[in-house]
This record gives sequence, C-alpha cells and structure tokens, in this order.
Amino acid sequence: MGGLTYTMLDTTNLSTAEMYGNVLCELGEHHPEIVGLSADLAKSTKIGLFANKFPDRFFNTGIAEQNMFSIASGMAKCGLVPFVSTFAIFTSMRALDQVHTDICYQNLNVKMIATHAGLSFGQAGTTHHCTEDIAIMRSMANLKVIVPADGIETANAVVGAYETDGPVYIRINRGFDQKVYENTDYDFQIGKAHQLMDGNDLTIIACGSCVYQAIEAAKILSSVDGLKARVLDMHTIKPIDREAILKAVHETRRIITVEDHNVIGGLGSAVGEVIVESGKGCAFRKLGIPDTFSIIGLHEDLMAYYEIDTNGIVENVRKLIGLEFEEDEDWEDEV
Amino acid sequence: MATRENIYANKIFLNAVLPLVKIIIESNEIMAKKFKNKNGIVGISAKDPDGKVGTHYIIENGNFTVIKGPNEKCDLELEFKSIPALNNFFAGTSKKLPKIKGWYHVGLLTATLSVLMYMAKLLGATTPPEKADEKDLVVKLYFSLLAAGISQLNKSGHPAISKWAKRSPDRVFAWKVTDKPELSSYIRVKAGKSKAARGEYKRSKPFFTMRFDTTDSALGTLLGIDDMIEATVTEKLIMEGAPEFGAQLGEYMLLVGSYAKGS
Repeated sequence: MGGLTYTMLDTTNLSTAEMYGNVLCELGEHHPEIVGLSADLAKSTKIGLFANKFPDRFFNTGIAEQNMFSIASGMAKCGLVPFVSTFAIFTSMRALDQVHTDICYQNLNVKMIATHAGLSFGQAGTTHHCTEDIAIMRSMANLKVIVPADGIETANAVVGAYETDGPVYIRINRGFDQKVYENTDYDFQIGKAHQLMDGNDLTIIACGSCVYQAIEAAKILSSVDGLKARVLDMHTIKPIDREAILKAVHETRRIITVEDHNVIGGLGSAVGEVIVESGKGCAFRKLGIPDTFSIIGLHEDLMAYYEIDTNGIVENVRKLIGLEFEEDEDWEDEV
Repeated sequence: MATRENIYANKIFLNAVLPLVKIIIESNEIMAKKFKNKNGIVGISAKDPDGKVGTHYIIENGNFTVIKGPNEKCDLELEFKSIPALNNFFAGTSKKLPKIKGWYHVGLLTATLSVLMYMAKLLGATTPPEKADEKDLVVKLYFSLLAAGISQLNKSGHPAISKWAKRSPDRVFAWKVTDKPELSSYIRVKAGKSKAARGEYKRSKPFFTMRFDTTDSALGTLLGIDDMIEATVTEKLIMEGAPEFGAQLGEYMLLVGSYAKGS
C-alpha cells in the first residue's frame, strides 16, 4: 500500500494506476480510435504512459476538468473512444455537470478512469479523499460503475470498459493495492461478482482495496472462529449482480459489505437495495466511512480507523453472527 | 444406578425414538386405524433413584401429541424397573417386559404394542423393505431419529457433541432425499443450543446438507449396506457444504446409531 515510493518488492508488482497506464498503451496499439485526456494530472494518474507513447492522441486540458469532460464528449460524438483520467474527486464532483449532461445523458462512449479514490490519498487530507463518488456516479443513468480489487482486475476492467459501449466509470486507488489476483485469466465480466472464497455462515461482499482485507478476514474467521465466510468481489457496483446477492441471502443468511467509501449510497446501499426489493430477510451490516468527513492519515491507518481493514471486518463479523433473526428461539419444543 | 452412557442412550430412546410413533401413525394407514377414535394418555417410563424418566403420548381421537417426561395421570403406562432395563428392551438386547399399568385399557394396550413392535421392525431392519411407501417411512424415521438423537446427546452434555455445539454459530444441518422433501429432517445448532425438527428448513439453505439421490441410496447408507465414502464417490450421497462437516456429521450419526443399538 502506501504511495508511489517504490520498494524492490513493489517494482515487481506495478501500482494499480501503472497497470491501467500499461493496459491502455496496449489497447492503444490495436485501436487507433482511443484517445487520452487529463487535466494536468497525467503523471499522477499514469495516463502519462499513454501520453508518452501516443503524443498525438493525448490531450492535456490544463486544470480545467469541466472543459476536459466536455471535450471528451465531443470526441466521442466523432467516433473516438476517450479515456479520461483525473482524480476521483474531480471526476465525480468538480466536473459532475459535464459528466451528467454532456456524457451520461447522451450515453456517449467515454471511459472515465478516476484515481486516488476513497481514502487512498490519505496524507493529502479530507479535501482529496473521495468517499462519495460511488453514490454519485451510480445514480447517473447509462453509466456503469466499476471498482476493481487490484491492478490485475483494473487491467480486466479497462479492457472490459473498452469492449462495452457507453460511458464507464472505473474507480482506482493511488499507489499500490494488495494483490488479489495472480493474473487476468479468471472469469471477469462486468456486472458479475467474482467469488473468491466459499462458505455458508455469512457472505462478505467487498469492492476495491477492501477485497483483499475481506479475504484475510475470512481466513482468520475460519481458523480462529471456525466460521466459513463466502467472499464476493463485487467489482461492478452498477449494474449490480443481483443473482449473486440473492444467492448469498438464501445460502448464508448474513451479509456484510465492506467498502472504502461512505456507507451512504455506495456498495452497501446497492446490496441493501437488492435485499429489500427481494422481500427476503437476512442479517445485514455495512462497513465503510460513516456519515462524516474523513480524518487525515496513511491509507492503511485510516482503513483500520474506519474498521474496513482485516481486523475491523473480523470484529464486525463476530457482532453480526451474534444477531438474532430467527422467529423461533424455543430450543425445547423439538418433539 | 444408571451410568452416563445409560443416560445418553435413554435420552435417545425417550426423546428421539419414541416420538417416532407419531410419524408412523401419520404415515401408515393400518397403524392409524388402530388408534381411530381412541383417547387417553399412554406413558413409557423407567424408575430411577434420581426420579422417574419417561415420555408420554396424549391421544385425542386418534391424534398423537408427544410430550417429554413422565405423566402421573397415564391411562396406560409401560413402566420399566430401571433406565438400563428400558434401554435394553428398546435396543432389542432384552425381552423382559415392563410392568403394565392400566392393562385393562385393552384397546389402547394392543394398539400401542402394535405400533411399538412395528417401529422396532422398521428400525431393526437390516435390509430395505420391499414396499416403496415403507422404504420412504424408514428413511423418514431414520432422518428424524438422527436429528433428534444428536440434539438429545448435546442436551444431555455428551462431551464430543456438546463441545461441537458450543463452538457452532447458528447453523442448520439437514438430511434430504432429492425430490422427496417430506422425508427431510434437520438440526439447528447455535452456541451450545440445539433443536431437531422434521421437514425442510425453509428460512434459508442449510449450512450443510446430506442429500441422497434416491430413497434406496439413503437406505443403503442408513442400514449400513453401502460404504459412505463409496456412496459419495458414486454420487448416491451428495454432501452440500464443506466436506469436513460431512465427516463430522457422519461421526455423530454413527454415535446415535451405537446408542440406539445398545452397542
């Protein structure tokens, strides 16, 4: 985790944004209609790799995000496939009107790769944390919202976004994410959750960097508590995988969601909506940033503070398991 | 004086085996006919220095209600002189008849003895019955006996089973035959508590299900004709859930069986 300061180990595992940059370069080689745009953040968002390779197909709009998204919509109208990269906070808030009206309303083929999402820009502070974007972006009609678990999944998401017509929002972190996937050769499909561990005691549904934490938590719960947790990587928040959620309701009866995002409107809310609409009952808990502006600190410390790290998930699962939800708690009338 | 082992076996006979009479009455027309329009309280009990133990049936117009514990107001009572005597009789290792109180209720007595003997015949069978409905009935009885038996051993403080139950979060373990939900039974276990029930658990998918593909496959395993591992390999038996729980459940099934057979 941490920032972009390389260690020897890190250099073998490219940061998530670098994976994006490299995949975009590969796509760019085969698809000349792909263009890149950034608002003076090419280096930080790693679209700079594309800019270096295809200088004639890259456009730096300067610190003018709203203009950038409008330009991207015009390019898409002309048949180009713009990949637009800036920080998540600028994509989902500063330029929201342009995203809403110029891109989503017209259902244009613009791919927004928003970096430095959630609490991943830890030390930069509250103004640069972006814990509202999933809620905002999933309410935009026509827009698909993807939150990859790590660099490998980001690679799949970028390719998937290119192959999908219409606007797509991909939310990634600053710096290195813990590795969840060894390679891209697994069944990644936009709109389909990926099951990483099976279990029938409860389901942990996570997205982004919380997926790795969920897997680690499930291992502890198995070895210490004897609990079998199913772990779902819900990389696509919209359209959400209703089938996987309803299967989890039926088969595990308890669901806990984990996200590096405000608990209002994000993954937890999306999962909760499916459960409520189904009319089925289950014990349910949402982990994320509460209804507050986040504090400042290193990403991993903030994850611990808001209980979306391994220990936080373990503790909350233990509370969830103790919840009563059966109608019949008379243990003696069994004859 | 009854030993701990005697008490575990006794709990199984009183609270897991004897309640099966209700299933037989509800499933078998000939047996149901014997109780038609009959009323009364029938008890089966054993004397013990710590107090009398037993189970009794309240019969109202042929309908059975099974109640745990003895009843002082029985119209008919089969009273054994001790817990081991009751255990040995029901395990088939002794033919020593109990004291029959209220023997003059001849109709109730003959009907009760008939159903008990029929149950003993079904549970004591070493080969599957020929008739399809009787096959189903045996499986239903066994499933119910296993669920109730494991729960009873937990409630009686059996060391292995109570340790298992104590560590368990809220989980349901079920026995089923594909396409025959009416034969199902399950046990719910939660932090040391347990509850056996008949039928399907509908609140959610059980944590673990031991599912047989046919009634014959179920009988093969339950009567000890088929090897459980082989049945699993050939998919006569499908373990739905983590395999380690299948092994655990199999172990507890054998334990209940050993108490019920007096071995």
